[in-house]
Amino acid sequence: MVNSTQIQKVAVLGMGTMGAGIAQVCAASGLDVVVLEATEARWHDGLGRMERFLDEGIRRGKVTPADRDATLARVRGTVSEHDLAAADLVIEAVSEDLELKLELLSRVAEKVRADAIVATNTSAMSVTELAVAVQNPERFGGLHFFNPAPLMPLVEVIGALQTSEHTLIALEQIAEVLGKQSIRTKDRPGFLVNRLLMPYLNQAIQEYDDGLADADDLDAALELGLGYPMGPLKTLDLIGLDTHLHATTAAWEQSRDPHLVAPPLLERLVAAGRLGDKSGAGFRSRK
Amino acid sequence: MASDEGALGTAEAVRSLAPTSLTVGVVGAGTMGIGIAVTSARVGHRVIMHDLRPESVKSGTDGVARFLSRSVEKGKLSAAARDGALDCLSGVTDLGALEHCDVVIEAIFEDVDAKRELLARLDDIVRPDALIHTNTSTLSVTAIAAGSRLPERVVGSHYCNPAPLMSLVELVRGRLTSDAALDRTRLFLKGLGKRAVLCADVPGFIVNRFLVPFENDCIRALENGMGTVESIDRAITSGLRFPMGTFRLLDIVGLDIHKAVSLSLYDQLRDPRFAPPPLVDRMISAGQIGRKVARGFYEYDSAGLLGS
Repeated sequence: MVNSTQIQKVAVLGMGTMGAGIAQVCAASGLDVVVLEATEARWHDGLGRMERFLDEGIRRGKVTPADRDATLARVRGTVSEHDLAAADLVIEAVSEDLELKLELLSRVAEKVRADAIVATNTSAMSVTELAVAVQNPERFGGLHFFNPAPLMPLVEVIGALQTSEHTLIALEQIAEVLGKQSIRTKDRPGFLVNRLLMPYLNQAIQEYDDGLADADDLDAALELGLGYPMGPLKTLDLIGLDTHLHATTAAWEQSRDPHLVAPPLLERLVAAGRLGDKSGAGFRSRK
Repeated sequence: MASDEGALGTAEAVRSLAPTSLTVGVVGAGTMGIGIAVTSARVGHRVIMHDLRPESVKSGTDGVARFLSRSVEKGKLSAAARDGALDCLSGVTDLGALEHCDVVIEAIFEDVDAKRELLARLDDIVRPDALIHTNTSTLSVTAIAAGSRLPERVVGSHYCNPAPLMSLVELVRGRLTSDAALDRTRLFLKGLGKRAVLCADVPGFIVNRFLVPFENDCIRALENGMGTVESIDRAITSGLRFPMGTFRLLDIVGLDIHKAVSLSLYDQLRDPRFAPPPLVDRMISAGQIGRKVARGFYEYDSAGLLGS
């Protein structure tokens, strides 16, 4: 089976926010990246996002123009899975739709070498359930990046019940090649980081709704009292209330843990179109 | 845990916030009492520290002097400002010495009956318009205020440890607290250079109400094999960008203290996230209660210091 030092070519499935971020991380680490998208238009949207992200990096002095050009030169797009045949590693990052992921993983796993590592960046689904779609599922595992992938230092490595130890080690080595710290965790709803984060965010929504404190004071208490980089309501506005609603509902459906139930106010805010910073209003209005 | 001295600025900068010099009584000369006394003295208030025994009083006033001298060494405070603050500091065992106080801050041990009794005695000593602040962290402000004949002047002001360095104060309104007492307390805290957050009189207020169940969730994740002590701490510092891993923090707090706070909150809230997980009991049984004994979730080279 492939080990990390032999990985030169990476196939990324999907050029949404996470796919574009992961493709950028891989290309910036010197790997050749081919991204599969459903349409040319979606590929170009994602490429535009990557270019803007890199330009912002230049503006902040974190990226040189030469780095940007080299990174972009290592990424190309395709709408045909036949162009992925040479990949040593596949990272799936399409939208959180079970049927879509199963169908795509099955189709792509057939095209790449039988010993290529196949990983999913899902945050909401069972890695074990997805592994069922992959031929030779022992080579399949979770490689979960955080948004924005180029900036967040951590990835979670998740073993499905089918995943071999060799694959888990390879995924940890890949994380290292990509300049990320990795932690290994189990295939349980939310994995580790989101399993800890979601009940905390749900509590913040419910306590705010119950009148514990106003939004500014609630956030300030946790920023000043515990040194958190951002209070929970600001965090929710940043990640998007619809995104959090989807994630916590998916985790609740797999666990029936009452601390993962979406608080009623969260559902009301999403219903009202108040999705956070991206819609201009969430817990706070953005002036 | 975090030091935000920078946000607070120098004592001279803070001093300018205090419009008038008040007489502040601090009852209870332990860690929190010392911290609150420092915070009050360095902005120019006259501070009277009270405790039951002369040696406790002396340890309290010595603690204030030591902190202020360290501030001078670190260049945060001028020697003249320290001397001025210490000139205005006194220590007493007689509660009657607090009769001229404008504000009395209660920072005795967490026992509702003891706090109620103290407030009842203070009613006979201080002026009716004096503010009474309680620094309780786990008890109900309303329940404590019930000890006073004038519960409308009783306000919760929960400082974070170390009080002179942490800008946050949880400002808690009891059911009977008056608007006037709350407004005057806001001004007083602003004069100390603090950021007050107003929160309801509920168990744990804001900070402990969020921190304690999060810590228990981390302990449960460890019990469930979701990660190791190290990987869960890394998830927290690198994944969530919190300033310290939960297990590092719990080792500093002490597992015995964590269990007591968890149980107190659980008894009041009955939410299972607040219940201390079984691993906490096992670690206490094994004597692995944290940094103070050099062994908790991590091992330390010597009690209280370096992590190995």
